[in-house]
Amino acid sequence: MRTGGWTRRVILFCWALFALGPVYWTLITAFKRQVDIYDGPRFIPFVDFKPTLQAWRTLFGDGGGGFLHMFWNSVMFATASSALSVLLGGFAAYGLARYRYSYGPMRNDDLSFLIVSQRIMPPIVSVLALYLIFINLRLLDNAAGMILAYTAMNLPLAVYLLRSFFEAIPVELEQAAALDGYPPWQRLARVVFPLAAPGLAAAFLLSFFFAWNDFLFSLILSFNKAQTLPLYITYLNTQSQPLWWQISAVGLVALIPPAIVTVVLDRFMARQVLIGGIR
Amino acid sequence: MAQSATLVERRGWHKHVLLSPPLLFFAGFTLFPLGYTIYVSLSNWSITGAHSFVGLDNYVRILGSNTFRQSYLNTIVFAVVTVLLQYLLGLAMAVLVYRSTFGQSVLRLLFLVPMMFTPVVVGFVWKTMFDPSYGPISFFMDRLGLPAVPWFSEKLPAMTTIVIADVWQWTPFMFLILFAALRSLPTAPLEAAMVDGASGWRLFFDHLWPMLLPASVTAILLRSIEAFKLFDVVYLTTGGGPGVQTATVTLSAYFTGIRSGDLGTAAAMTVVLLVTVLISTTILLRILAWASARRSRRDLGEAA
Repeated sequence: MRTGGWTRRVILFCWALFALGPVYWTLITAFKRQVDIYDGPRFIPFVDFKPTLQAWRTLFGDGGGGFLHMFWNSVMFATASSALSVLLGGFAAYGLARYRYSYGPMRNDDLSFLIVSQRIMPPIVSVLALYLIFINLRLLDNAAGMILAYTAMNLPLAVYLLRSFFEAIPVELEQAAALDGYPPWQRLARVVFPLAAPGLAAAFLLSFFFAWNDFLFSLILSFNKAQTLPLYITYLNTQSQPLWWQISAVGLVALIPPAIVTVVLDRFMARQVLIGGIR
Repeated sequence: MAQSATLVERRGWHKHVLLSPPLLFFAGFTLFPLGYTIYVSLSNWSITGAHSFVGLDNYVRILGSNTFRQSYLNTIVFAVVTVLLQYLLGLAMAVLVYRSTFGQSVLRLLFLVPMMFTPVVVGFVWKTMFDPSYGPISFFMDRLGLPAVPWFSEKLPAMTTIVIADVWQWTPFMFLILFAALRSLPTAPLEAAMVDGASGWRLFFDHLWPMLLPASVTAILLRSIEAFKLFDVVYLTTGGGPGVQTATVTLSAYFTGIRSGDLGTAAAMTVVLLVTVLISTTILLRILAWASARRSRRDLGEAA
């Protein structure tokens, strides 16, 4: 299978160009001045144009508008909802792995599928109704409301992912802990959760990824104080002359958490999560 | 399982406490909103709150409206075209990287970079890439003597930019799953086939691809579910334009419900979308079950 080495290399190179070209473009745009953009495309820093920190100064200085506020919101909502998803999802996944349920005709597998099947429903179906519900509950444009919505979004995934991790932990370990006199909740906290740490980390990171990337919920359920980073980008974008350099800088900042997520996931669990998790 | 059940079966109420939060969230954030949406879709609910029951009027009206049919058709076209392209490209890259003897992990990480971008940023990046005046793509096409393409002011080019942006972002996802699947495959059948003299395309179609079938269907299923939700990139690049020619159902429902305040009609749109997604997902799940069964028949013992 080692024939056609050159064809293979050329194809891989072209794909790398396609995959990374826009990344490079974003990177250099974030260091351009207005004139370097509206004077036709320029590609090579220091040769074509003189890099500047103008965009970054505006962003982190006084001209950033709501940048820091929305950035903080994004971090807070994603962290809180992921933690909640992993905690509640972890308990439920443990239950599904260790106990037998029968709710009417539903057994463990059915319940597991029922929970994960929520992800199939396009979010626009529920978010229009949630808008009306949130108005009545005074949760619109409210941090608690956003965190609850993101938790609802990520909980199914956490339950589904973690179930297989808990099933892989030998039940004998728990029995041993029980013989040592640990009550059930402590067995969970001291034995089961630590052993499932890679799974918990994976579930946390994936949840964070989805909450961080969300746009639709934020667009519809917040309008001022609970807005997140993607909305900041749309504000810069809709002005008559979009602030390319500034949006690129925000884009690079927004890239950091998902990049960490991807690298970490790739390192120690891509196989388990994607192949082991899907059965 | 049986053992563990006896361990704690006596104190049965614990297990209900464990499972109740996801079920409560399911009820509060999926089931109830779904029922509410259906209820709203049967009324002329306005964003100001005024409403009265109108039966199936909204459905009759949107199914007869060109605007909605356009966005519905777009959603299907986007889903089919992007998922198909992502699968084919992701598969090709997975096989090519798998066959590379060096630099595998570096290539893999580089290929994953587009997936790390926030969808809104992806929309913006490709909007600037395709910008007719200041973007690099128009610049290079001009240098190569190619005619200028009105990327955002005509339907087909606008659709193409959206497809390219989506393919750019999500091919890595297909790549990731298929590459992981490739690495988990047993090498023995492949080596045996190679000893028998099979090579190149024969090896791929007769041996490799059938073994990748379950992972393929899983990846396609997961991507399809997401593809029907397409919104962010369209919102950022074309905003559904020119006119509403590149709108998706989610975009139409957003504009109708929130911007124009006609929640009843918007709700009806989302219900039609949901039914479509459910039908497609059911079909794909059937295929997945079939593919897995076929795989386990092929190599008994390994699949377990």
